[in-house]
Amino acid sequence: MIDGVKRVGTNEWEVPIGFLPGMRVPGRFFLSESLGRTLEPGAIQQLANVATLPGIIQHSLAMPDIHWGYGFPIGGVAAFSLDEGIISPGGVGFDINCGVRLFTTPLEFKDITGRRDLVESLFSAVPTGVGAKSSLKVSAKSLDDMMTKGARWAVESGYGLPGDLARCEDKGCMKQADSSAVSAKAKQRGVPQGGTLGSGNHFLELQVVREIYDPEAAHAFGLAAGQVCCMIHSGSRGLGHQVCTDHLKILEQATRKYQITLPDRQLACAPILSPEGKAYFGAMAASANYAWANRQMITHAARTVLSKMFAVDYDEMPLVYDVAHNVAKMEEHHYEGKHAVVCVHRKGATRAFGPDAPDIPLDLARIGQPVIIPGSMGTSSFVLRGTHTAMEKTFGSTCHGSGRVMSRSQAKKKLSGKEVAAALLLEGIIVRAPNENAIADEAPEVYKPSEEVVNVVHEIGISRLVARLTPIGVIKG
Amino acid sequence: MSFVEVPHTADVKIRAMAPTLETLFSDAFAALMQVLYGPDRNGGKKRKITLDAEDQESLLRDFLSEVLFIAEVDGLVFSGAEIHIEGCHLSATLDGEPFDRRRHAMGTEVKGISYSGLAITRDANGYMLDIVFDV
Repeated sequence: MIDGVKRVGTNEWEVPIGFLPGMRVPGRFFLSESLGRTLEPGAIQQLANVATLPGIIQHSLAMPDIHWGYGFPIGGVAAFSLDEGIISPGGVGFDINCGVRLFTTPLEFKDITGRRDLVESLFSAVPTGVGAKSSLKVSAKSLDDMMTKGARWAVESGYGLPGDLARCEDKGCMKQADSSAVSAKAKQRGVPQGGTLGSGNHFLELQVVREIYDPEAAHAFGLAAGQVCCMIHSGSRGLGHQVCTDHLKILEQATRKYQITLPDRQLACAPILSPEGKAYFGAMAASANYAWANRQMITHAARTVLSKMFAVDYDEMPLVYDVAHNVAKMEEHHYEGKHAVVCVHRKGATRAFGPDAPDIPLDLARIGQPVIIPGSMGTSSFVLRGTHTAMEKTFGSTCHGSGRVMSRSQAKKKLSGKEVAAALLLEGIIVRAPNENAIADEAPEVYKPSEEVVNVVHEIGISRLVARLTPIGVIKG
Repeated sequence: MSFVEVPHTADVKIRAMAPTLETLFSDAFAALMQVLYGPDRNGGKKRKITLDAEDQESLLRDFLSEVLFIAEVDGLVFSGAEIHIEGCHLSATLDGEPFDRRRHAMGTEVKGISYSGLAITRDANGYMLDIVFDV
């Protein structure tokens, strides 16, 4: 383990105050010994940087998929008090409300295995990759509604089922959205991209439920062994990226105005209740809503293809859940004997609210919030449930994915997209992407094993395993 | 053109070395286009950018962020840029062509230009740059 880091539990580590000058709280992260071998010192430096921010509560936290990012480490979580704390785009990222959703189908493995025509139809129906534009031109009014109403705009416009909304974090809409804080440039980028997937690690996958660990929770979530599901990973596209870029600039000035000392310019921030902090939060929430509408539109495209090709009713494909893993939220939490609303930043981390927490669908109140953790294109994805332990230890948060271990440049040198796709085909996985680089970049070899990451969060108890799914059809951007 | 991709697990990190600040900016611009669209890029359509910033790092970040914006909304892929810098003022003329899915869908979207690890240094040999693109 990195010098200066102390073990405080089986899979729990502390970065003490003093590791870096100016730390206000210790850093705390969750990692197994074997995952620790690929931990980058830069990620721990970033975890400690976050601990220097004003108003941070208890710990600067990181989940077991911690790795080196910008601003916060990826996998980073931090809560800030409303009276003394700050809000920072460095704790959210450029892709505001990048997130994952999963819907089930009545289909089984035998119905879709080897169906390249299905994968091709999905690839045609969902615009993917660099330069892809939506076939739908949204009006200025519709764009404003997307930013204000989120997933509800999409459902009201015919892109979904009313029942989808209850199965989205925040019901697919942050009420604090302020579209007037979103620049004209960001809106211009948002118009042609509604319903587009993006590129990089974004994907649409057909998966099969291979294993059920928790039958009661799986049943409540609507999951059964052998069932075909569809997982979608995308975010707020150019609109969210531009909001981050614009507000970083504004918040750099605010950082000086409020005399905040920062170890990294990407952590530019402002007091939560300052005009600059409120403007960023309003624009971020508007972008989060755009992302929910976007995932809802992609869901509609996929459901439409499936219902046409398999004579499955659209409403036989209900949403299990939709999680945001790059976002800042105002949430009520218990800490240090208090009960208060705090601003929780999750940068590559997933909300994992336990039973009876607010914002959990009524029918799942006893179980806890569904948590969706994507694997890579060749490895398992997982559904977990949120826990009371997460509420106590991590402000109701858990990991968000596997975390990369190989850079994209190394991946391109070492791996051929064609060979990766051929090897996956031998395992029964059909991959479709706009180019071979997109496949090499995201090959299973470049990620930590997803099992190891979810096993750590399961053992610590910050979420509990419910089901394991494996991919059979993969669309990459 | 003189830039290399330095291993970075999550994102794309670029290192460039150049005799002048203008060439350094031009290298960072070329790296951004290469990551986004691959090597096959031609000229023909011009776009102008003028910017002011408080320091060189901000100037570069703002310049590349503006290039990202124009490329996306105008659907253009750039092959070159003529850049002039005076203090913290930049003016640039970008030269490019319309995005063509058959030739330009080779790359990865860049979500933003990060301040983390952004450093421009100067010594007797000229300028050196480290920059991270969020992809």
